[in-house]
Amino acid sequence: MPEGTGALREVLPKQGTGGDPRPALPARPAPRSRPFSPFAGQLSVEDTAAMVLCKPKILPLKSVSLEKLEKLQRAALDAAQPPEAAPPPSAGPAPPRQ
Amino acid sequence: IQAAWNLKTRALTEMVYVDEIDMDQEGIAEMILDENAIAQVARPGTSLKLPGTSQGGGPSPAVRPVTQSGRPITGFVRPSTQGGRPSTMEQAIRTPRTALTARPITSASGGYVRPGTASMLTNPDGPFINLSRLNLTKYAQKPKLAKALFEYIFHHENDIKNALDLAALATEYAQFKDWWWKVQIGKCYYRLGLYREAEKQFKSALKQQDMVDTILYLAKVYVRLDQPVTALNLFKQGLERFPGEVTLLCGIARIYEEMNNISSAAEYYKEVLKQDNTHVEAIACIGSNHFYSDQPEIALRFYRRLLQMGVYNCQLFNNLGLCCFYAQQYDMTLSSFERALFLAENEEETADVWYNLGHVAVGIGDLNLAYQCFKLTLVNNNNYAEAYNNLAVLEMRKGHTEQARALLQTASSLAPHMYEPHFNVAILSEKVGDLQRSYTAAQKSEEAFPGHVDTQQLIKQLKEHFAML
Repeated sequence: MPEGTGALREVLPKQGTGGDPRPALPARPAPRSRPFSPFAGQLSVEDTAAMVLCKPKILPLKSVSLEKLEKLQRAALDAAQPPEAAPPPSAGPAPPRQ
Repeated sequence: IQAAWNLKTRALTEMVYVDEIDMDQEGIAEMILDENAIAQVARPGTSLKLPGTSQGGGPSPAVRPVTQSGRPITGFVRPSTQGGRPSTMEQAIRTPRTALTARPITSASGGYVRPGTASMLTNPDGPFINLSRLNLTKYAQKPKLAKALFEYIFHHENDIKNALDLAALATEYAQFKDWWWKVQIGKCYYRLGLYREAEKQFKSALKQQDMVDTILYLAKVYVRLDQPVTALNLFKQGLERFPGEVTLLCGIARIYEEMNNISSAAEYYKEVLKQDNTHVEAIACIGSNHFYSDQPEIALRFYRRLLQMGVYNCQLFNNLGLCCFYAQQYDMTLSSFERALFLAENEEETADVWYNLGHVAVGIGDLNLAYQCFKLTLVNNNNYAEAYNNLAVLEMRKGHTEQARALLQTASSLAPHMYEPHFNVAILSEKVGDLQRSYTAAQKSEEAFPGHVDTQQLIKQLKEHFAML
């Protein structure tokens, strides 16, 4: 792509022949060749602490007993609340059925 | 007539029967005013009240969320899953204790909402059996009726004193040779808080007839007495007599988990699975351990197994969604979460799902979506500390420092055991130059999670700074 290589040519230092199709290395290896190091040229390293997010939550599964308990509790709460119009369930003496 | 009565009694009991082995809701009064502790300060690794002092062997709080007591979140929750012993009364009041409501129960009787009300539910015009008019001695002498009656009184009416009377009479009548009655008396003592007496009864029952159930009850007593090592020894002896018994293995694994010894717990859960590979609790716990050990694909396999077994609830789909996302199976992620939302039974579950969706959004880089998800979490559950914290992080990215600070304030007051809000406050304050506040916050973060390298570095930096002044 002509524009592509043109843009590259702008950015990269001149290589020699202008018709170089593939982008060459930006710097010729010096006579005393150094192994390439990614940190070469870096002046300082700053390790700023970043804020931490709380972690994703794996939800614990509920046991059968727990679910039954919850159901009972819910039923009990429901039974206690709605019958406001109806008379409250009396625990008065009822004939024991045999 | 007697047969019909017997049948009706047992049917009524069955309606509200929850296996006593599992039932274990500890009230606040019992937690704070515990007189059963043997040593004032337990040696590390011997107490359930001091998590984290035994060898952990599991993922740190840097990776795994932690509950109020400092224990990592488990994969499975039962009626007896401890919320931990709170150190102050205030913390105790804040700890959610009941399964349903977030309000704590104050004492043993408070948790048993089903008593009395259960009989009200089944019989609106009065109780089926009127206990005050019952001649217990007469019934004690008829063993079959007595047993049904006992279970009725114990579970349905929840009247422990009468149940205990009946059991005592029946045991006498059986000349102390019936192990079943000894176990029942033991259960009554346990409920009444007389743990040493319960222990005696269970031990005597064991001598007479070796039963797995009795071992489980006795272990429960030891756990309540904060003697996990004794309970473990008991279980291991039980395993010699009942090799491969799943409930015993599971009991051992649970105790290890309570003591924060995740590696041993995982080992025993694996043993359980070798014996019974449909054991939901073991699968769930191992799954969550793998997820937090950076192995979401394996966790995914475990949760898929649960799905195969027919477990179909909000929590499972939430976990599946999370595992799919982190295992990079993006096709399943969103549909799992959708299903989870659909199956959520109450607002707290919905909040949890939205919170995890927020994490997914952060993962894909859509911060607007993440913001909305965390906000939805708060809509459903206003006390969701993690969501406040994460919202604060997002606000900081947008540069809204003051809002972030307010959110972090809320988060840290809601959940003082989490290190993240404290750490974030420290970072924020340091950025704006408020070093004093940064230092105090960093201290709190270190208290919550002493192993956090960033916190330690921050504290070191601040100390150097202060030393220069």
